[in-house]
Amino acid sequence: MTVTRSLLGVVATILVWEAIARIQPNSVFFSGPSDVANYIIGHSGLLFRAAVETTGNAVIGFLWGNFVAFALACLVILIPRSEWVVSALALLVFCIPLIASGPILRVLFGPGSGPQITLAALAVYYTTFLSLVVGLRAISQNWTDLMTIYGRGRLSTLLIVRLRASLPYLFVGLQIAAPAAFLGAMIGEFTGAEKGLGVLTLRAMRGLQTDATWALALISASLAMLGYACVGLIKEKLTPHAPTILVSTPRGRSDHSFPAQVIGVAAIAALVFFLWQGSMDAFNLNPFFAKRPGDIWQFLSHPANMNTLLNALGATLAYAIPGYLAGLALGAGLAVVLMLWPPVARAIMPTAITLRAVPIITTAPLLVLAFGRGFTGTVAIVAVMIFFPTLVACLQGLRQTPTQIVDLFESYGVTRFKLLRSAQIPAMLPALFASARMAVPAALLAVTTAEWLATGRGIGVLMALTASTSDYNMLWSCVVLLCLVAVGAFAMVAWCEKRVLRIYASEQLA
Amino acid sequence: MTAADISCENVRKSFDRTDAVAEFSTVFQAGRTTALVGPSGCGKSTILRMIAGLDAPDAGLIRLGPETPKQVARRGGLSMAFQDPSLLPWRTVRSNIALGAELARKPAGGVDDLIHLVGLDGFADHRPAELSGGMRQRAAIARSLISEPEFLLLDEPFGAVDAITRRRLNQDLPPLWRRRKTTTILVTHSVEEAVLLSDRVIVLSPRPARILSDIQIDIEGLRTAAETNSAKFQALKSKVLAALEEAA
Ligand SMILES: Nc1ncnc2c1ncn2[C@@H]1O[C@H](COP(=O)(O)OP(=O)(O)O)[C@@H](O)[C@H]1O
Ligand SMILES: [Mg+2]
Repeated sequence: MTVTRSLLGVVATILVWEAIARIQPNSVFFSGPSDVANYIIGHSGLLFRAAVETTGNAVIGFLWGNFVAFALACLVILIPRSEWVVSALALLVFCIPLIASGPILRVLFGPGSGPQITLAALAVYYTTFLSLVVGLRAISQNWTDLMTIYGRGRLSTLLIVRLRASLPYLFVGLQIAAPAAFLGAMIGEFTGAEKGLGVLTLRAMRGLQTDATWALALISASLAMLGYACVGLIKEKLTPHAPTILVSTPRGRSDHSFPAQVIGVAAIAALVFFLWQGSMDAFNLNPFFAKRPGDIWQFLSHPANMNTLLNALGATLAYAIPGYLAGLALGAGLAVVLMLWPPVARAIMPTAITLRAVPIITTAPLLVLAFGRGFTGTVAIVAVMIFFPTLVACLQGLRQTPTQIVDLFESYGVTRFKLLRSAQIPAMLPALFASARMAVPAALLAVTTAEWLATGRGIGVLMALTASTSDYNMLWSCVVLLCLVAVGAFAMVAWCEKRVLRIYASEQLA
Repeated sequence: MTAADISCENVRKSFDRTDAVAEFSTVFQAGRTTALVGPSGCGKSTILRMIAGLDAPDAGLIRLGPETPKQVARRGGLSMAFQDPSLLPWRTVRSNIALGAELARKPAGGVDDLIHLVGLDGFADHRPAELSGGMRQRAAIARSLISEPEFLLLDEPFGAVDAITRRRLNQDLPPLWRRRKTTTILVTHSVEEAVLLSDRVIVLSPRPARILSDIQIDIEGLRTAAETNSAKFQALKSKVLAALEEAA
């Protein structure tokens, strides 16, 4: 029954799509299903080899990234004191847009698939790390008591209780990670590989080959979704009752005083510099491309260099900020509207959860075709990238309004609108802020990728340029600056979150 | 290993602003069973948790023989059946029970005998979700017995068990820990159960817990359910009840 219905849906979509394509024949931004099919059939060998290449890299990166996430999560559980440093460093690395680390990895690794695999790993480790830490912690105190009764320590508790208990959470993370790994591998290919779907996509876009762009976007998105579905199937088999978790960064302890926080940030900064300089020296990396902190400092002390960089950043932020705000507002807004019609919300939820997982970047070329290479196109890419995760998180948040409160309101016969305003929207705020934090790196990734692919402005282009002219000082400066912007924006969102949630909480007390 | 006393000296414990236990001092004799009864919320579980090394007392001293609770725990010498059975949901009944021996680093012999003893025959390969609350509690009791501990702490172990089964367990289980000379502390709400199962009943005051009365149960020989009808049993039961009423 549902199968026939979804089949009918697919057929209808294809027919409508074909009809639109027939209305505008030879359009530069639209290809119908028949055009796409023709292209795929005509180039099946090429496409197949590219798909195998990209999928292979994604899978290897997926395994590495999750392995690292697993190791870090276990470390945090076994040595709780390490949590602060591990989380901060993990977040910092996560904040570096993949498109920025791509060129650097390219010069470090040279030709081959090293960068693609590393980027795939970088794209997945953070979400897995977060959900795994939540899962490893989500055990009842009775079980830790049981272990204590027998004099067993953290390691036994981890091995006997926590690991098994965290499985559902692990799979929530892994499922999101599967398409993300694909995205990472594609971005790695954008930044200078020889083979793979990313390379073909770049070529198709530069050559304005509309049919090829559409075919590649479809194939990439389908493969990424296939990964999502496969992990989902395993998840269903192993842990049928998956928990709802907001994959978001753990909120820092608020009991730290301001000086303590400053000292903490300084310590992390010092550690980063030490690791940066130390690892380059330890591996004896060529200073021609492996720039040390001192090199960057010197480079940026020339006002001309600094100006170039800041101008590019200004151009990038002019796209990123509107896109970021639009994505958040649309996601939260639609969630609220849907909440007024619960049946519609219930119907849309699964679709939204699935679309959240589509690596939007794989379809970015289509958005560029549709909205152009200017402001609208770029903002659209950023907004779409953020829209689905926000929608899903906010719907989940709205649903988590305690049922007693809903019942209480309904027993007084208040309108649905009033209920929404006074009970459900406040309950949604934590989810909204959680996605606002996670959306910061996503927005920077989207905007720089769009610039790299299409627009010809901003830091993304600066990086593409410097990577091809071997201006490694500028390349590293871009990476450092993007990372600082991401961390700064992240901290700003966290600050707003604290203030807003505090006001909301005190309202609750009154 | 010979049986050892559990001694508590001026033990105190408070949570935030609630005093849970105040100046608790007694010796639980080696190889004997002592029941703790008292109004709910008076601090019985807190006392057991401190003896088990789960919570540290704010003041005072607890020793199991010459050792601290943590030392005994590390060598697998004690076990506890919690109010909440806290079985691992992904393990079968058999492997949940065997876990007690596994954690205490002891051979897991006799799991099937214990399963029979607690009346879970035929459920060895079921998972906790397929059992009733009482059955889960029985599995948890079996888990606490499998490691043959020197110190056994039972916190309302039969709370969710139905009346008939409870009667049977009251009769079948105590010989096990008596034979092993286990120093046992039993927290229970049932005065009858306290008198039937133990050698001594301690009645506690409402929170913070202090000892109100300390009653020796000098019934010799095998205690069967029939014993509950004897005049001596009834007299002891009334004594405990009177002390409890005084407490309330
Ligand atoms: N972890 C805790 N935090 C705060 N209060 C507690 C905690 N554990 C117990 N208490 C309080 O201590 C008192 C005694 O609790 P407990 O020992 O569980 O009583 P009971 O005799 O029913 O087993 C109660 O008032 C309880 O609310
Ligand atoms: Mg209790």
